[in-house]
Amino acid sequence: MSAVLEIDGVHTYYGKSHILHGVSLKVEEGELVALLGRNGAGKTTTMRSVMSLTPPKAGSVKLFGRDLTRASPHKIAVSGVGYVPEGRKIFGHMSVHENLQVPPEISGPWNIETVYELFPRLYERRASKGGRLSGGEQEMLAIARALLLNPKLLILDEPSQGLAPVIVQEVMRTIARMKKEGMSVLLVEQNAMLALQLADRAYVLADGEMVYSGDAATLKADKARMESLAGVSHAA
Amino acid sequence: MYSAFNGLIVGIFYALMALGLSLILGLNGVINFAHGTFMALGGYLAFTIEPYVGFWGSLILAPFGAVVLGLLVERILIRPLYGRDPLFSLLLTFGLAMIMEDLIRTIWGSVGQPFALPNYLNTPLSASLFFLTGYRLVLIAITILVTGALFAVLRYTRIGIRIRAGNADLETISAMGVNIFFLRAANFGIGIFLAGLAGILAAGQLGLSPSIGSSLIMPSFVAIIVGGVGSLIGSVLGGLIIGIASGITAAFFPVAQEVVIYVIMAVVLVLRPRGLLGQEGLFE
Repeated sequence: MSAVLEIDGVHTYYGKSHILHGVSLKVEEGELVALLGRNGAGKTTTMRSVMSLTPPKAGSVKLFGRDLTRASPHKIAVSGVGYVPEGRKIFGHMSVHENLQVPPEISGPWNIETVYELFPRLYERRASKGGRLSGGEQEMLAIARALLLNPKLLILDEPSQGLAPVIVQEVMRTIARMKKEGMSVLLVEQNAMLALQLADRAYVLADGEMVYSGDAATLKADKARMESLAGVSHAA
Repeated sequence: MYSAFNGLIVGIFYALMALGLSLILGLNGVINFAHGTFMALGGYLAFTIEPYVGFWGSLILAPFGAVVLGLLVERILIRPLYGRDPLFSLLLTFGLAMIMEDLIRTIWGSVGQPFALPNYLNTPLSASLFFLTGYRLVLIAITILVTGALFAVLRYTRIGIRIRAGNADLETISAMGVNIFFLRAANFGIGIFLAGLAGILAAGQLGLSPSIGSSLIMPSFVAIIVGGVGSLIGSVLGGLIIGIASGITAAFFPVAQEVVIYVIMAVVLVLRPRGLLGQEGLFE
């Protein structure tokens, strides 16, 4: 196995505030890795550092064996990273079909027709404006948009946010299918129990530092650790 | 009728200018004060090459000349300022406008130059429609054609869809794999093309002077505000409205011909701060 993503000792700032304090993380080929942590722990900042949307000041980001620290975001994306941002970031004033024409076409199994087959609901709503979709439909659109790049690594930032449980299960099934088809996945979630159902390994961030890394099943079974590290209850 | 039509012609120049300014403001986030001098440049380039390629040849080639210079300016001067306070690029283009205007004076002279049109375009179509020359019809037709083509590109082509998406969220399109450096340059080029074209069309109608651009740029900004920031159709509409209003005023109350533009802007800002077709919530 080789690492598709290797973050090493990353320090990232928003202006003068130091958000990430030497974060390291690895995703091996074909693996589904969960990145957990409380709100404000630095999960989204870690993703933004990988995508170079908020480029790290120190440390390195390697993708598929290439050092892409502080490369342009589009170069990172076309190198094989499908990014589903927090809050989905759909283009609300444009139709579903237009939203799907934004990413460049990179040849592979996924194209506009096959993502419509994956999400028939999007095909039905292809003429609707992105802003008129439900939260679940927007999430599907954001995933479909990322798949069009035929990525080797799929990064999802809080896909369950604001969705009804039944929709969340559907999204999780889609993610599981991508993993089965050989995609590596980095799943960022506040809802730890949900993410650990799918993950092979997990990391936990707290105040910009990695405080746990290990087997997902072990973390899931360790109730005390779950409480203290991720700050989530098993009730979720 | 006659003065409204005169106003419409001037409004067309405002509309073409405002359209380019609006595009560049939207995606590049630059208030391009040099837009007027790119317009003048288009006119002077056409003036220079017309003896060799004829009127129609210059109409097609000169805007591309302006675009080449525009792309160089974007690449060398404006690109380093993306992502910074918009004040930086505003000051840069403001200075650039003055430098370019003086360069035009140095190269082509301070006095106005007549721009010779083919005779068949310059004759009125009939005695009763004495203000309607062939040239004015050509001008209107070209404007409709080019504006229509621009809207079709924005609506149906990938680059147009990306420009619209990027107007809303540049960061997200870059994370989707879109090369925003290329997209911003292309968008700047389209804006400058419209300015260059406006320059040539205006040269044939108003004649050429080094300050033709700076006299048209303020009304073009007003057109954007009246039409609504963020709306390209609004920019076109705003340009035509203030052009016609100023044309009519010129006939009845000539001293107010310029001030009427700003009166309209003030009224719009008071009654509808977002402009006629502007996005809700941008300024309210």
